[in-house]
Amino acid sequence: MPFDLFEVDKEIPERKKHIYIKDSKDPKEHIPACNTTTVPGCMTERGCAFAGAKGVITGAIKDALHVVHSPVGCTAYAYGTKRYPTTPDMPNGDKFPIDNFNLKYITGTDIRESDVVFGGMDKLKKCILEANKEFPEANAIYTYATCTTGLIGDDIDAVSREVAEEIGKDVIAINAPGFAGPSQSKGHQVANDVLFESLVGTKEPPRTTEYDVNLIGEYNIDGDLWVLREYFDEMGINILSTFSGDCCHDEIGWMHRAKLSLVRCQRSSNYIAKLLKERYDIPYIKVDFFGIRYPTENLKALGEYFGKEEEAEKVIESRMKWIRPELDKLKEKLQGKKVWVFSGGPKNWHLPEPLEEELGMDVVAVSTMFEHEDGYEKIKERVGENTVIIDDPNSLEAEEIIEKYKPDIVLSGVKEKYLAHKMGVPCILIHSYENGPYIGFEGFLNLAKDMYAAIYNPVWKLMEFEQEIEEEISAENHARRRGPS
Amino acid sequence: MSDVNIVERGRTLVVNPLITCQPLGAMFATLGIHRGLPLVHGSQGCNTFVRYAFNRHFREPAEIAVTSLHEDAAVFGGRSNLINGIKNLSKRFRPDLIGVVTTCSSEIIGDDVEGFMKVAHKELAEEIGEEKANKTKLVHISTPSFVEHHFRGYGNAVKAFVNTLTEEPTESNDKLNIIPGMVNPGDIREIKHILGLMGTEAIVLSDTSDPFDSPLRPSTTESMPFYPKGGTRVEEIADSSNSLGTISLPFYGDDAANSLEKKYDVPAKIGPMPIGVQNTDEFVRNVTKLTGLEASEELLDERGLLIDSMADLCSRYLFGRKVAIYGDPALVMGMARFVCEIGMIPSFVCTGVENPEFVEEMKKVGKESEGPVEVMPGSDLRALEVRLEEEPVDLVIGNSEGRLITRDLDIPLVRVGFPVYDRAGYHRVPIVGYNGSVNLIDRITNIVMEKYYDEQHWKLQQ
Repeated sequence: MPFDLFEVDKEIPERKKHIYIKDSKDPKEHIPACNTTTVPGCMTERGCAFAGAKGVITGAIKDALHVVHSPVGCTAYAYGTKRYPTTPDMPNGDKFPIDNFNLKYITGTDIRESDVVFGGMDKLKKCILEANKEFPEANAIYTYATCTTGLIGDDIDAVSREVAEEIGKDVIAINAPGFAGPSQSKGHQVANDVLFESLVGTKEPPRTTEYDVNLIGEYNIDGDLWVLREYFDEMGINILSTFSGDCCHDEIGWMHRAKLSLVRCQRSSNYIAKLLKERYDIPYIKVDFFGIRYPTENLKALGEYFGKEEEAEKVIESRMKWIRPELDKLKEKLQGKKVWVFSGGPKNWHLPEPLEEELGMDVVAVSTMFEHEDGYEKIKERVGENTVIIDDPNSLEAEEIIEKYKPDIVLSGVKEKYLAHKMGVPCILIHSYENGPYIGFEGFLNLAKDMYAAIYNPVWKLMEFEQEIEEEISAENHARRRGPS
Repeated sequence: MSDVNIVERGRTLVVNPLITCQPLGAMFATLGIHRGLPLVHGSQGCNTFVRYAFNRHFREPAEIAVTSLHEDAAVFGGRSNLINGIKNLSKRFRPDLIGVVTTCSSEIIGDDVEGFMKVAHKELAEEIGEEKANKTKLVHISTPSFVEHHFRGYGNAVKAFVNTLTEEPTESNDKLNIIPGMVNPGDIREIKHILGLMGTEAIVLSDTSDPFDSPLRPSTTESMPFYPKGGTRVEEIADSSNSLGTISLPFYGDDAANSLEKKYDVPAKIGPMPIGVQNTDEFVRNVTKLTGLEASEELLDERGLLIDSMADLCSRYLFGRKVAIYGDPALVMGMARFVCEIGMIPSFVCTGVENPEFVEEMKKVGKESEGPVEVMPGSDLRALEVRLEEEPVDLVIGNSEGRLITRDLDIPLVRVGFPVYDRAGYHRVPIVGYNGSVNLIDRITNIVMEKYYDEQHWKLQQ
């Protein structure tokens, strides 16, 4: 039976179709059911569409100001939740005057009961104007519907259009209230569509080259983008626009001038790459820069595309000559360690092969919060036989995974991290990272180091007080416990 | 006696808010109940963002369920989501209590939450038996997000626990009910310590100390499902009508305290947050009034240690320095009074709430301050930043949300309150009581030494 009903799911048997155990003899369409609504009260780890829009996509833009049309809560939560550093550098050589503007400020309309009764559109208008006055430096204003303002039916598009004209600045309305769609994923899509429809084609870049690319779906988590930017710079490939890590608002407006789009996160930003292909005939390739083999292959492919094969080789060689020995040392320590990878989406297919090929680890379980069919197909291809693949696992299932599959380490987010620790299993963050970046060759080494530091943290050998300290007993106790012996 | 100026936010827009919405406070309070689980009747962001906030601050799990409202619920109502949510949660997690926390969505949709809870209970009783179903207490906590703030949400949750679970009094339990507010585990432990020294014990409503700072001991940890150690037991809440009195440390715990007084004649005392000498003295006097127990020698010695550190440190390093304080209004009220006691001037006191209690207290603080106090109720961090650009201070006291602002202003930030996610251990170290105040003096003085003395290091020689 490829699908498995967990012990803890006896009461919610509908979860069975979301848990699939890989058997390569199964037909291709055997994958976990996904992108559907969560079972109420099951203790899901998912978030909302607003988080997907602001938290994932637009929050990375360095010069945009955000006005959240909500009661104070959503505004407070939109503040600095993701690790998206930015530089002040603008494409024309200017410096943006406020450091880390995207991380430093959040604004909102502070919706109260009377607004719920009488409507909040006037308030939204007033607030956007005030926001523009408070931060004249901002090059654009993004405004967001939330559950409250979505339910009362405020037309944020109309208000945004009106104010944009009045202030002579882009005001972008993002209609992804928290209740839209089954997960964060809906918010990614809305943000892609809105930014494409309202911005792409409206601006011209200060200069263009024959080697201009859009780097789509790279948000600069803990400096990931900066790693890739170095590779591209060394190869003579110019990132004309990123969507949206460390980017400025105008960059999105001139994405139609690139020669090629590279899609990095293929869950949150396929949409805009496809639209660029449809409307502007800009080809896109899906890229994978995690691990060693994927960045090697993808840099080579890129080199081939632009006739920069030698440059690509140089980038790879210059890194690998010092990284390979380091990785080999870590491989000795990580070999055979069992891993559970729990990501938002694509890291479930980015990481299993590198962990197994490069470090000799054993990926026993993978799970995502919001991956879709295409993602699960790829995951299934890339994980080993008998690996359990779980869609939208809840925290009781997380406990069962730990009990049943006994991972030596969990790679996940902060919500799961401390639960894993309480069960005596180390856990490192792969949404926002421990000591990243984690992308590229250097990044994979960072990840390996963090896994090593976590698994070999001496604490896991000191778990319980032992009255008897004779060597045999102590050794026996250690052997019974998880972690390295 | 110094001037007290009250300054409004001056705009409708909120920028870097100092408050969040009611449900967060209700989830916080529910997690302080032994085997208590919040079930948020709303969208998935309503619980997930809050879990992040708790995980980051406490570095602990925070198990919060949600009914996952989507478009269909917005049209047809959230009946099946709530009923199924309660049933699934009860069957799989077997909690002692579910706090059903409403949100903006469920309040706007107008769901009959009480009615749905009854249906869920009835169906559960049919499916798993009356006895098992009764083991999980269901408490409705109404927390519309567009009314007031998370502190009130905390107060509403405690009120809901008391009103739903407290039983008719029988005989005195010789205990005191303590409503600690949204403080840290270290603070609750310090309050228990003081009561212990005075010879009584507390029913803490609710006791987040162990759930948010629990030992890593896999051999004794309750798993499948995981529950943290500790928390207030449902029976203790039932027993709170037999207590000698209730003290709510923050003003926003007043509803629960007053409800116990009105219904069961349990006398209530509201505030102050026992930070510093005078506020802790007042807390101790309140305990004496309610229990008849006096401060023990040991407790007076602890007071003496605080006085000793004030004598040693304040005049030399702290006197006359200007500070800005922001965050939880009850905490800011306590901190403002305390900084006056240590010779500093609370030049700016800033909070996100508009409650009159805050302004009234600050008028009192003004009488104890060496310099003028600017009071910023209903305000936000941006308003404070703008004022600090115009009139810099020596120190800022507040949570981690001010880290980028104070960094750019080059003013040191003394971290207190919630959230503190960019430093370690702050949830464990108390800032209330005499011991907590000693910790605060050390924390403040060390930061002053680093910032204002390290360059002329010879001044740090004893």
